Amino acid sequence: MLDIHEKPEPTTHDDPITSDPREFASRVNSWMPHDLMLIDAWFPLAHSFAVGKKPVRRAVYSQPFFLWREANGNVIAAETHPNDMLAATKSEYTDADGRYPVIEKYGYVWGWLGNPDNAAPEHIPSLPYLPEDGGLPLHMLGTVRFDCCAPLSLENLIDLTHADFIHADVVGDEKMDKETVEVFHDSETITMVRTCVNKSVAPIMKVFGGVRDDVQQVRQVIRIYLRSHAAIAYGRFSPGDNVQLFHPCVPETRDRTRLDYAMNTSNVKKTNPFRYMMPKASYKVSRQDSSMTSPQSPRYMQPEKRKDLHSPLDEAGQKYRVLMLSLAERQANGDYAYRDNVSADCSEIIGYDGK
Amino acid sequence: MTEAVWWAVARSEEVSADKPLNVDLGDQPIVLWRDANGVVRALEDRCPHRRAPLSLGCILGSGAIQCGYHGWTYDGETGRLINIPNLKGERKYPPVYKAKPFGVHESGGFVRLCADVKAPPPADDGDALPLSGTATVALQHEQYVDALFDDPSLLISIKGVRFSPYLFAELTEQEGQLMLERSCQWASPHWPAPFSSEFPLSLRIASDAVTGETDLTLLDDEFNLLLHATLAPVPAARGVTQVRWRAVLSPERSGLQSKIMGVGTPLKVHENIDGAALRVLKPSASIHANDLREKIAARSAPQDEVA
Ligand code: FES
Ligand SMILES: [Fe+2]
Repeated sequence: MLDIHEKPEPTTHDDPITSDPREFASRVNSWMPHDLMLIDAWFPLAHSFAVGKKPVRRAVYSQPFFLWREANGNVIAAETHPNDMLAATKSEYTDADGRYPVIEKYGYVWGWLGNPDNAAPEHIPSLPYLPEDGGLPLHMLGTVRFDCCAPLSLENLIDLTHADFIHADVVGDEKMDKETVEVFHDSETITMVRTCVNKSVAPIMKVFGGVRDDVQQVRQVIRIYLRSHAAIAYGRFSPGDNVQLFHPCVPETRDRTRLDYAMNTSNVKKTNPFRYMMPKASYKVSRQDSSMTSPQSPRYMQPEKRKDLHSPLDEAGQKYRVLMLSLAERQANGDYAYRDNVSADCSEIIGYDGK
Repeated sequence: MTEAVWWAVARSEEVSADKPLNVDLGDQPIVLWRDANGVVRALEDRCPHRRAPLSLGCILGSGAIQCGYHGWTYDGETGRLINIPNLKGERKYPPVYKAKPFGVHESGGFVRLCADVKAPPPADDGDALPLSGTATVALQHEQYVDALFDDPSLLISIKGVRFSPYLFAELTEQEGQLMLERSCQWASPHWPAPFSSEFPLSLRIASDAVTGETDLTLLDDEFNLLLHATLAPVPAARGVTQVRWRAVLSPERSGLQSKIMGVGTPLKVHENIDGAALRVLKPSASIHANDLREKIAARSAPQDEVA
């Protein structure tokens, strides 16, 4: 799909985002998200509370994961259901017993898809506002699904101008005085920071959050861990409460996405209904997103001669495409190494101060 | 699908300035709406930004259409991008920033589209016939038209009329149209068609060779017009056919049977087709339809090549 001109040096690596605008554009426009399959990654397969004695079934790129707990509470992630006597042959992703590497962290069961020898805890993304040993109340957790391929869901998320149109009734419309978008990346992550000056107040904050003003100052951060298809969505609102959402998009199949979200509203006063309503907004918001990403998805399955058109506000989405393609290209060439540490605390990058 | 062909993809009353309408020309989705002057506009139903259907968006007061995803806004006539609301301030966008426009022609209560924006408009139809409807049928376009030739009762009903298996005239080509005339009876008890000496009614079916847009004319045995209808089957996604139709009952109809036609709906276009009956329907009138279509196409083709 993409040409590699030189073999990368073992120690220093070029920025996967080329500075040549024409080459950048041609990469952006070669985007076929249905063809991407990134491995050697931890996927947040289930909320910890959802895994008990009876195996539950999950999938990543149709590869089956059966999750259950042993008597001592340890989670097992297996390729076949223990009752399945006719199980097909074992994949290369599991050990001799058909087990995947598995870890519990941040209130999730993370399964490793890739070479089991490469599974390492330091490849679990840093999620600063989720308690490491989980334990968030159930009303902050939920599951929603997107009828589209996972990278489209994430591309949707990282361009927040969409929220002003399809989620206007929840988060407010596009009316504001000024909007700036900044984008940071390394080889494993992309982070978008959107700052809005005097933006229409989110209706959900007006109705449930007790915000009386008409406008608010907004700083929204989307940080995507590329391989894990997992995103942090962090919003600071003034006036208003901060929104601390973990938004993983697990590619169950190439055209369907599972989102086991955690919206940590423990920063919101117990007497404020926003604390209980905001996590529930996901049910509405995700259907609004799906209304666009679902018809989009088949339109990204086949090569397309006509290039997508872009605006300066699409910088993050375009870079997300290029970074994903470059990881895919490296993996196609047998390079599965992590060049950047995804578990290093990202509080500073996302502007999270623990409050 | 030939470029300069006009397809009746909607009835006038289906297209409004309030809500965009999604229609298909085969596998090509198209969005229709009315601009501030009431003119019907048609663009490919695909936003060139991130390929979302424009029909999920809204029509602005200016008559432009705004994509519901990130708000890109397009002019209906040219398809050109005129605004990205989040990019504050006036901007000019390069001409490649556009959605694909379609030629539109509205007349006789039908909205017709042509893939070629520069195609000469089709002839006007005159006044819109007052009765109208839309039926979506799970049958391919050519099969639909052929079934109309072979046994219209599978696709339509005319109040009080029974279509017989006999023809006054088999399918022929007349001025680029495929025409036949079917013998019909009143639906009241009568001697069965195979043993009838006379048929009191005739249904003329005249179909455009390419679009299958069909004029139906029901006459009594004194050549009085009873019913006139236009049926416009258009190929839609997944082999479905969407049929827009309009009809008028002649105001002067003599005889009890023809008067009864005015009670309720005189014409019904079926949404559901009896597959078992369709499967065993033997081709008869339609047998030569394809030969005739090819003959018509061959006659017009050399001119196209010269042009
Ligand atoms: S897809 Fe239409 S504005 Fe983005
Ligand atoms: Fe969204």
